[in-house]
Order: sequence, then structure tokens, then C-alpha cells
Amino acid sequence: MIFRAVEDADLIRQATRGNVESFNLLVSRWEKRVYNYLLRITANREDALDLTQDAFLKAYQNLRKLDDPGRFAPWLYRIAHNEAYSMFRKRKPETDVDEIEPGATETQVTVGGSSVFPIELSLAVASALDRLSVDQREAIVLKVYQGFKFEEMAEILSCPVSTIKSRVYTALELLKIELAPMKARGLS
Amino acid sequence: MSCSPFDLKEYFLRELPSPQRVQVEAHVNHCPACREELERLQLTEAALFSLRDEEIPQRIAFVSDQIFEPSPVRRWLSGFWGSTARLGFASAAMLSASIFYFAATRPAPAPDRTAVTPVAAVSPSPQEVQQQIQQAVAQAVAAVEAHQAEKNKELVAYFERQSDETLRSVRWMAGELDAYRKRAQVTRVLAQAQPVGNAQPSENGDAK
Repeated sequence: MIFRAVEDADLIRQATRGNVESFNLLVSRWEKRVYNYLLRITANREDALDLTQDAFLKAYQNLRKLDDPGRFAPWLYRIAHNEAYSMFRKRKPETDVDEIEPGATETQVTVGGSSVFPIELSLAVASALDRLSVDQREAIVLKVYQGFKFEEMAEILSCPVSTIKSRVYTALELLKIELAPMKARGLS
Repeated sequence: MSCSPFDLKEYFLRELPSPQRVQVEAHVNHCPACREELERLQLTEAALFSLRDEEIPQRIAFVSDQIFEPSPVRRWLSGFWGSTARLGFASAAMLSASIFYFAATRPAPAPDRTAVTPVAAVSPSPQEVQQQIQQAVAQAVAAVEAHQAEKNKELVAYFERQSDETLRSVRWMAGELDAYRKRAQVTRVLAQAQPVGNAQPSENGDAK
């Protein structure tokens, strides 16, 4: 993990000197994760792909402003988060971002590839995630799916750690009530 | 409500440091309620991971284009200005340079050459300074007095010229007046002489 971080830092240094290929290598390492993060908060593949491209373009343009290459991941996700929320505001300028429910207008996220789990469970997960608020869903995506620490999430979302914890714990409680019994039945 | 020594969710989300994790694990082994709660959280996580990551439909790549690539100088400048520490250093350097420039190019105040004598390069004693001040004051007073005397002289000369002209005018007017009187006297004399000449024929006619 540390070795990988050093490699990323080297790529960032080379990219800041104008080496586009180094940045492309960096993109190839992070594009899938960033795309899936955006896919889960937008629930739309086209939007997620567009936002991923925009996020990496902005990252390339502002790479020299990144003081600590070791903080690349939270910095990149911060850009992706800003791009997504900018899109939400453009689409519904008079609506509070917390009230936006992407899943309500778009087709729900389906399971990618073959799965050992029943399809009902995946649909139930997608449905349970959709019922969370945008903030809670994003907190779960960053914590559970992307594996960020609370401090990193606070940096990405520009929130105090206490707010982040509150969002994650509340969302986890709601998901637990809905999903744990279903998963237990699936295992039994 | 959990009876665990530390938050079970924090343990489950891998936010607890190692020593505290060990304590939670020891507690969960002996507490059925906390063990059950932890199992529910693990089932929730397993359910969440049933939603697999998707492959990105289109790979993202940037193409190097020399036309749109900034030159090395511009990249260096951009990097320089993008850095907070360097920006601070640059600001300090520019401030210093502007202070030196201002000090070097600021025009010195022009001394009053009539009143101030050149000051010696060596720092003088207070008595010398006092003497120089007195000397300068005396010179300034003398210059002002001389200037005033010259002005007075000019004024006197002006008034003298004016009075001469007035005197000449008065004399001319007196001459004119005198000439007028003489002409008037001659006229009067002639007028007196005329009636005498005219009366004689009349008297002669009366005699016929």
C-alpha cells in the first residue's frame, strides 16, 4: 500500500512536469473507483462517465496545486464530489441538493457482471441505498465501498468528522434494519 | 444500546486503533448481544457488497499535444505561482525590491540655495550647527533686507518721476492760463477801443 502510494506520488511529480503518459497511468489506476463512486451517487452510467472524465480533466489542470502527492485520493474524490454536486445544482437549481433523489428519475443500479448473490438481494441493496438521503448515501459509498477514513471523508466532503460519523452511523442503522434480515435469510 | 467498551460501529468500520480493537474483540466473545449486533453489521456489509463495482464503459486517456501543452517556462511559472510557500517568498522578494527601488529613485527635497549653506559631510558639533543656523538666518535676513531696500529705492524713483511729471503738467497749465489771460486782456483792450471809433461818425452826423 505504501509502495503504491510512492508510485502514485512519482507519477504525479512526472505529470506536473508535463508528462501526459504518467497522468494516463494514474488515471488507469483510479478511473474505475471514481466511476463507481460517481455511479452510486448519480445512479446513471452516462452521467457517471461524463463526470469521471470531467473530474480527471480538472485534476490534470490543477495537479500543480496539489501540495502533498500523498493526499491525491481525497483530493481527486473532492473534485469528483464537486463535479457531481455542480451537475445536481444545474439540473435542479431551485432544489436543495439534499432533496435530490437521482434514483427516482433514473433507472436503478443493477448488478454488474455475474454474482453469487441472488438478484433480489442486489436490487434490495440498490433500493435501500436509493432511500437514503444523498448525503447519507455518499457517506456509505465513501466509507464502505471506497474505504476512506473519517478524516479523509471530512476532507472530501468539507464537513467536520462528527458530521461524517453521524451520517455513516445513521445510514448504517437504516441499511442494517432493511438488509441484515434479508441477507440472513439468503445465507440460511 | 451496546455495552461494548468502545463503539461497535467504529470497530466494524475499522476506525479503532489496535489496542482498542483487541478490547472490543475480547468483549464480543463474552457478550451475546454485542456479538449479535456485530453479526448484523457484518451481514449488512455483505449485502452491500452484493452490489459489485462496474467496469468503466469507456477508458479515459489524455493525448499529449504540443500545441496545447504549456512551454517549460510557463509550466515552471505556473508551478511557482501555484505553490503557497513560493508565492509567499515571491511576495516578500517583490516587496523588498519595490522598497529598494523606491529608496533609490525617490527625488531628494530641493534645498533653498539662498538660505542654506552646504552642510559638511562630517557630522558637525551642536555649536557648529547653531553657528551655521545663525549664519544662515543672518544671510537670509540680509538678503530680505537688501531685497526690501531695492524695492524701496525703486518705489522712491517711481514716485519722483511721477511728481516731476505732475510738476511739469502744472507748469504747462500755468503757462497756458497766463497766455489765456493775456489774450483776454488784449481782446478787452481792443473791445474798449472799438466803440470810440464808431461813436465819432455818429456824433459827426448829429452835427450835420
